[in-house]
Amino acid sequence: MGLDSEVAQLRRGDLDALSALLTRYQNRLYRYLLRLVRDPAEAEDLFQQTWVRVAEKIRQYDAKRNFEAWLFTVARNIAFDHLRRIRPESLDEPIAGAPGESAATRLPSSERPVLDGIVERERTSRLAQALELLPVMHREVLTLRFEEEMKLEEIAEVIDIPLSTVKTRLRRALDRMRQTLETNYPGEVWQ
Amino acid sequence: MNDHEKIRELLSLSVADALTHAEEEQVMNHVRSCAECSSELDSWRLLAAGMRRLPTPQPRPLIVERARARAEIRFAEEVEHRWHRIVMIGVILFAWVLTLMSWPVVRLVSGGLLGMLDPRLNHAWLGFAVFTTIIWMTGGAAAVFLSLQQRRERRLA
Repeated sequence: MGLDSEVAQLRRGDLDALSALLTRYQNRLYRYLLRLVRDPAEAEDLFQQTWVRVAEKIRQYDAKRNFEAWLFTVARNIAFDHLRRIRPESLDEPIAGAPGESAATRLPSSERPVLDGIVERERTSRLAQALELLPVMHREVLTLRFEEEMKLEEIAEVIDIPLSTVKTRLRRALDRMRQTLETNYPGEVWQ
Repeated sequence: MNDHEKIRELLSLSVADALTHAEEEQVMNHVRSCAECSSELDSWRLLAAGMRRLPTPQPRPLIVERARARAEIRFAEEVEHRWHRIVMIGVILFAWVLTLMSWPVVRLVSGGLLGMLDPRLNHAWLGFAVFTTIIWMTGGAAAVFLSLQQRRERRLA
């Protein structure tokens, strides 16, 4: 069953379609939420809230819109409300200090890509740690572009900003990422 | 800012596939003849490839099942809520039709056939109007009370 027909069926009240959509997006949505809040327990809670909100709002969803962008917008709104309530400072400031154990590396994952060797594994781990040190706005745009592989137009729709701002934010996020890697891991091959 | 510096600014966006076709072509033309930018672009490519290969964290199966169950319950509540709204609108329309239809009957009983045609107000009409108003206000108050109670229960759940 295709995405469009699952969404259409859900709007008609089919619970199986809700289940199918949840299965389809569970990993991607959780990853996005985890990148935003960095805490697995909070991400799990927000993950559940997102699906409850989807169940509430699916009738208001405009079928002409991109469902994926709508779904990620719902998740984003919930995550940012949460951050605003729990850690308002996290919306502006990056976390200071040296990278420690990251939430991403702590998590069980059966989909870890096959890496060539220890060096590459180490590099991936450092990237994940560096990503966590970035401000939430930068983490968000990087995960949407490189992990979710969304088009710039879709990112603009999710974040609700103009396309030109997406580009600027993406460039700044990449610069910041590189800077973080160079500061924390001098001599690495990023330079 | 010279061309070299301008292109250098675009290198990171190039690996993010965020350039227009013309910009991309400009970058590629420059990189072919500039060793410094070529090496810089390779570094960005390495970073972008690493980002794309970051491990995908997965939610615990228990959490997925809990999310599914909660969403299904909420979904069923929404469907039920919608149905209640439709039934409520139907009942209100039916009640109004009954109310309006009962007026000629009241006139018939109180004043006979001629009374039915009499447009003037009389005691029967006033009694009927007061009676109907009281019934509607009582019904409205009950509906508001029930809806508030239901909302409170839903919030507690």
